[in-house]
Amino acid sequence: MSTTETTRSSSPIADLSYRHYDGPLDSVSARWWCIARMTMQMATKKRGFWGWSICSAWWYIILLAIFWFMDNLSGGLATSGPGTNIFLKQIIWKDQILHAFSYSQLFLMIVALLVGVSTIANDNRSNALLVYLSKPCSRFDYVFGKWLGIFLLITGVSLVPMMIFYAYGYMSFQDYGFWTQSPWLFLKLIFVSAASGAIHASLAIGVSSLFNQGRLASATYAGLYFFSNIFTFIVYGFHVAAVAGGNKAPEIFRTLYYCSIDGIQIGMAKLIIGTNSSPVFPVTGGPGRGRRGGPEISQADLIVHAPFVGIMVPLFLFLVASGFLVAWSRVKAVEVV
Amino acid sequence: MVSTVPLVSIKNLTVRYGSFVALNNFSCDIEPGCTGLLGPNGAGKTTLLKTILGFVKPAEGGGDILGLDLHSNGKAIRQRVGLMPEQDCHIPGLSAVGFVAYAGELAGMPGDQALRRAHEVLEYSGLGEARYRNVETFSTGMKQRIKLAQAMIHGPKLLLLDEPTNGLDPRGREEMLDLIKDISHGKGVNVLISSHLLPDIERVCDRVVVVLKGQLVSQGKIKDLKAIEGQPLDVDLRESSEEFVVKMRDKGAYAAPLHRTTYRVQVAGTREHAIATVLQAALESNAQVRGVKLAERSLEDAFLEAIQS
Repeated sequence: MSTTETTRSSSPIADLSYRHYDGPLDSVSARWWCIARMTMQMATKKRGFWGWSICSAWWYIILLAIFWFMDNLSGGLATSGPGTNIFLKQIIWKDQILHAFSYSQLFLMIVALLVGVSTIANDNRSNALLVYLSKPCSRFDYVFGKWLGIFLLITGVSLVPMMIFYAYGYMSFQDYGFWTQSPWLFLKLIFVSAASGAIHASLAIGVSSLFNQGRLASATYAGLYFFSNIFTFIVYGFHVAAVAGGNKAPEIFRTLYYCSIDGIQIGMAKLIIGTNSSPVFPVTGGPGRGRRGGPEISQADLIVHAPFVGIMVPLFLFLVASGFLVAWSRVKAVEVV
Repeated sequence: MVSTVPLVSIKNLTVRYGSFVALNNFSCDIEPGCTGLLGPNGAGKTTLLKTILGFVKPAEGGGDILGLDLHSNGKAIRQRVGLMPEQDCHIPGLSAVGFVAYAGELAGMPGDQALRRAHEVLEYSGLGEARYRNVETFSTGMKQRIKLAQAMIHGPKLLLLDEPTNGLDPRGREEMLDLIKDISHGKGVNVLISSHLLPDIERVCDRVVVVLKGQLVSQGKIKDLKAIEGQPLDVDLRESSEEFVVKMRDKGAYAAPLHRTTYRVQVAGTREHAIATVLQAALESNAQVRGVKLAERSLEDAFLEAIQS
């Protein structure tokens, strides 16, 4: 029995005759957009992506609640009309966004794990490159398409809650310097999110391209994230010890503290926004007792200042470029057939 | 009228991997229709496919693929060519129809056209009932079919099939060969099959290209390769007859028993004269002729002879 007969019997109403496709074909250039679009489509079909993306906005949600409460329900803090709320008057708005961005880092890493870190590894496992590269796609199209898909997703996940908070602040807290403190904050936040997306996308595809199993790639990326974070916690510990002992923390801490996946993003955010950061809320920033009778220290003293531009920006660019290049070098068309 | 302009025209192609020469001054023309690419392991078949797809830059020589220069048109060539690779391949996380439609989009089809066409080619490939299943759950035979479907989604003018019957059971193999034969004859799709299985090639291909040690050994129509010099005839008698052989030899012809009641005879002159001689000898020896056909070698014999020569 021929194939045609077999299939016809299983699909009695199907038209099984072969017709040649003579419809339109797009240009062979810019195939990377097709790959980026599919990367995003597949990621956004996962419920986990939406769940963790919402979780990443947790501090923005808390901030919205606090500021709404302070603005609307705590009338006693406002002495005489608009712009006189003593709590809101102390708020440095860009720092609040920086805090929320910092607190979303763990969740952004989980989103990166979900949407990107296993993508090339799983393709390696299933020989998907055979499909991609036998079509009019180059190595660059493939790697850049994957990179762009992850970049846009992470940037979006980071940017959307920022913009919601920004919109709320812009509409509600003009009297408290929301606009005047940092007029270009809107644009700066886009760059902050883009930097976050770029570093995650590059590292994700770089790590992913080294493996044939998505789970191994994800575990490696998570390990890299946590070990680098542990390192920066240790550095921060030395920084706190130095400050509590009444000494000036060595300048090298300003570089080492940002040598993690989180740290690079936070460091870049501080440089882009133009801040050294400040205590989470003004009421928590008061002076406290120093170690063993040492000098009084405040939370502001414990903050590690923004990193040096001359170190952080090259480091950021190096990591973004090297992650991309590792992936690019691992994808070889000649090994396809 | 059938076009005889070659689909693939390779001229003096040399491909090196370091110091190893994979293709050495290789030239061949692949004409429209279904062509088999034969050769032992390491002969250079895969390198030839890689070169056609533009993955390998030749050290010397060049060629045209569907009228496009292979040096400078890798992407354009791949848009007009479909590849069914030897290994299992799919894009993880997609259903069959999603996978095939995505392959179409990668080839440049608009999304709506790709989706419509994906349904068509899946039906044609016999995967209509399984189109919404995840490809990872497919059996080997189904994976072979979906590889064919993704290769022909964008209506390529040339299909490259690398060992298309690998891993298939006898029935699956038959069905795959039927599918290939159907698509390569009268559907406007030209097929180049790389395979070690000579019966498969013989069944679906019109022509073969034989490669050995990076060089072209032989190419042409299968029936020409199988033809035996002098065009002898195989005569099938109702019963074996020694007298028939004697009578044929008396008439100056070559005659020898071949297999049970079949005799191979060779008569000088035209084919009509040869058949008349056979019938006369049969009449004189009281033998009953049940069939006469032009003798030919098996493709395997032709292949081995080409390689050994």
